[in-house]
Amino acid sequence: MIDLATPEDPADGLAAVVALRRLTEQLEAAEVERAMRTGWSWPEVAEALGVTRQAVHKKHAKRLIAAGVELRRR
Amino acid sequence: MFNRFTKGARGVVEDAVEIARELGASQTEAEHLLLAAARRDDPTAVVLRGHGLDYDGLEAALEAETGRSLAAVGVSAERPRFSPFPNKPRFATSAKSALEGALKAATERSDRHIGSGHVVLGVLRPTRGTVPRALGLAGVDQEELRQAVSTVA
Repeated sequence: MIDLATPEDPADGLAAVVALRRLTEQLEAAEVERAMRTGWSWPEVAEALGVTRQAVHKKHAKRLIAAGVELRRR
Repeated sequence: MFNRFTKGARGVVEDAVEIARELGASQTEAEHLLLAAARRDDPTAVVLRGHGLDYDGLEAALEAETGRSLAAVGVSAERPRFSPFPNKPRFATSAKSALEGALKAATERSDRHIGSGHVVLGVLRPTRGTVPRALGLAGVDQEELRQAVSTVA
């Protein structure tokens, strides 16, 4: 559940930006992996993320192959 | 830049990259240098451990900092689990600044070599950002720690 509050101290707000960036990156890695493990294709994942198939493939293919995930060709 | 680095300092830099990769970080940050320094077997690591900053203690402090920063905007999340990226994460600005800080610390003290202690001094230079906040949450007085590391660096 997300309920964006405004922290009083800008230091807390800026630290939240850093933590959210990190969280976004990690969540993408986790969710792309989960989708591919459950049989999604690259174009489907790309469409869901709103990025090109090339972008999502370039970022995650090596990692998922190294992890032994069976990838659908199309 | 690395030609004045001791074997220990090079080890810290190399380990930091591997720690960042294992933790699933997209970049190698200053906190990964500190984690790497805490894991070594040298006087600097002893000082860090003396302040409760062994690897696990420091990792817990960093987790707490993340949780608290997210909570500041009303977000709570489990740390996502995923297979790590195989590539080495490149150095983020925070890590580059820390290594420049290590160089400055050595220059200020007229030390020819840059050891793991200097790298930690570089990490402890900034007063804002992830590391200072994590140290604060762990109840560590950053300036006192900096001075303690300075005596063994």
